[in-house]
Amino acid sequence: MNPVVSVTSLSKYFGRFRAVKDVSFEVYRGEIFGLLGPNGAGKTTSIRMLLDIFAPDGGTVSVFGGNMTEAKKNRIGYLPEERGLYQDLGLEPTLLYLATLKGMVEADARRRLEEWLKRFDLYEHRAKKVQELSRGMQQKAQIIATLIHDPDLIIVDEPFSGLDPVNTRLVKEIIEVQRQAGKAVIMSTHQMYQVEAMCTRIVLINQGSTVLYGEVGQIKRDFAGNAVNLVGQGDFGDLPGVLEARRRNGAWHLTLDAGTSPQDIFHALAVRDDVRIERFEVAEPSLDDIFIHVVQQAGGVSSEARTYA
Amino acid sequence: MHNVLLVIRHEITKTVSRPSFWLTAFVFPLIIFAFTFGSQLLAQGMLDSDGEVDILPGILGEARETEPRPIGYVDLARVITQLPEGFPSEAVVPFADRAAADVALADGHVNQYYVVPTDFIKTGELQLIQARFSPLQQLGTSPFEYILTYNLVEDANVAARLLNPMARIERQSVSVPDEAVPEAARDLAVAIVPTAMLFIFFFVLTMSSGFVLKSVSSEKENRVVEILLLSLRPRELMLGKIVGLGAVALLQMAVWMGAGLLVLGQGLPVAGLAAMPLSGLLPPGFIVWVVLYFLFGYLTFASLLGALGTLAPNMREGSQFTFVVLLPLMIPLWLNYAFVEAPNGPLVTVLSLFPLTSPVSMVARLAATSVPLWQVLGSLLLLGATTYGFVLLSARFFRSDTLLSGESLSVRRIARELRRSIV
Repeated sequence: MNPVVSVTSLSKYFGRFRAVKDVSFEVYRGEIFGLLGPNGAGKTTSIRMLLDIFAPDGGTVSVFGGNMTEAKKNRIGYLPEERGLYQDLGLEPTLLYLATLKGMVEADARRRLEEWLKRFDLYEHRAKKVQELSRGMQQKAQIIATLIHDPDLIIVDEPFSGLDPVNTRLVKEIIEVQRQAGKAVIMSTHQMYQVEAMCTRIVLINQGSTVLYGEVGQIKRDFAGNAVNLVGQGDFGDLPGVLEARRRNGAWHLTLDAGTSPQDIFHALAVRDDVRIERFEVAEPSLDDIFIHVVQQAGGVSSEARTYA
Repeated sequence: MHNVLLVIRHEITKTVSRPSFWLTAFVFPLIIFAFTFGSQLLAQGMLDSDGEVDILPGILGEARETEPRPIGYVDLARVITQLPEGFPSEAVVPFADRAAADVALADGHVNQYYVVPTDFIKTGELQLIQARFSPLQQLGTSPFEYILTYNLVEDANVAARLLNPMARIERQSVSVPDEAVPEAARDLAVAIVPTAMLFIFFFVLTMSSGFVLKSVSSEKENRVVEILLLSLRPRELMLGKIVGLGAVALLQMAVWMGAGLLVLGQGLPVAGLAAMPLSGLLPPGFIVWVVLYFLFGYLTFASLLGALGTLAPNMREGSQFTFVVLLPLMIPLWLNYAFVEAPNGPLVTVLSLFPLTSPVSMVARLAATSVPLWQVLGSLLLLGATTYGFVLLSARFFRSDTLLSGESLSVRRIARELRRSIV
């Protein structure tokens, strides 16, 4: 399958400061791709280069199989992190203006806007000025502006900021529906649990460089330490090869020595009659832990990218 | 190009949908209208409409405003024998002598009384005795002055003419004189028209170019610009804004100039001159020059303020530097006396040739006097070249990185960006 977005060795300087260094990744149809990194890592600059807002100083960007064109831009929906709407204009004319700028005919835009406004419970507020809407309402309006022209590539930067749990779930569902419809979605967020729940693949950028790239599951497995999680009855602390056994909320976390594998522990437990196993799993770190680990490990020094195909 | 047209439409509808725009466009000229025609109506009340005496309503109305009580008089010279026809007898009270008048003054029946001494005809001396000193009371024509004049000449029309002999002057102009020094009768007109042009052009140019600054900086401040940049190149955004807001400015100028010229045409009689046809005041093709100078002037200052808007993170910071950019437009305003006294003098000539002051200065000068064609064309050529340069320079400021930057505006930053744009 050809990638919708293919970024190769992208780099960007601002004066002498190299904001992005050799960043590469690909995004495919029907996937939600996580673009992650600490503040100032170069995520937004990478997105802006991808969207042809900034010209890269090095590397190539391919969108929909080639260079960016004005027609291709109309197939992209972008929700930037630094976003807003015309505060002193009405909600409806603001969204219509943004929709027509994306190539929509005004009549179609008006019809589709009505559907979206009703879906987001904003229809009754369409005549109000944007500044009269709550922050959450404005956030939803911005998501409408991103999706109203039915884009094939959706780039959302912190899509859940400012939303309450109900609307967060609504936006999550809408992004998932877009993915199921075969759209490529690039999502940048600091909410790692959302990434774990929604993204199939991620790229982690730190200090302008790619430090992690691949499938979420594989990354987690590869970052798993030599440890197992156990739930059951009995004493699991005296198993051979266990360096440390911690018990919390009825579950055991066993840290193993270098010569012992989770498989060895599994075999050892299988022959014991004094314990009963209810759950046994290789302990995997959360994406949050991996993020912090990688970023802290990198420190101020650029590190080699770890790729997980 | 389609998106540029959308920006143009958006800028026009956004601006004209603001009540403040219509307030500025119409209320400002309406205030001028109200002052002009209001005072004209008042003045008409004092004028003789068909040669008959009709001076009373104005005099009495004015007197009632300042002194509602009747005016007393002691006529020792026996000059006052009758009141003019239609003069209300209760407005004046005759007293036989000063003692009687003093009693009435003390009782508050009158607040003042005049004494016409026996040798009044010879000396012209009068005495006014007031309960309290009131200087404002003497500003208008006193009803007593009218009665006295009427009794001296024994004719109401002659009395009215004596009181205001130039109340109904009718001015007719055959041609615009070529000489810089206007004839005496044109003095007031020549003073009003160029000054009005100075102010109208100054306000229209500063306000319209201010619209561009506001539009650019508000899109930065509202953080809409990044979404727009996915659909538009920065320079397309600039083009759309300048053209759209230029159309709005043209509308505003049409309203202001139309109202201004109408007021000037109608308002001159109020200033004591007869109605003067505008064709007699303004040179042929004046409107064409006005439109050309407006377009070049607007493009120059809108480009400059637009560039400022790209660098300013918000409207407030951008506004701090507008004074410097608009300073050249203010200089002719400060020197407005020169446009009346010596419209073809070296100072005004230089101002009307220098590109940053010429949009305001040349239009005012054209309204003041006859300007050699080579100077007008030369000035336009210089202004056009400057406009071209500033539009190109401003376009270099319209970049994604400047539009998306939140960096504060400072002199150092402007200088840095200027160097970057020129090199």
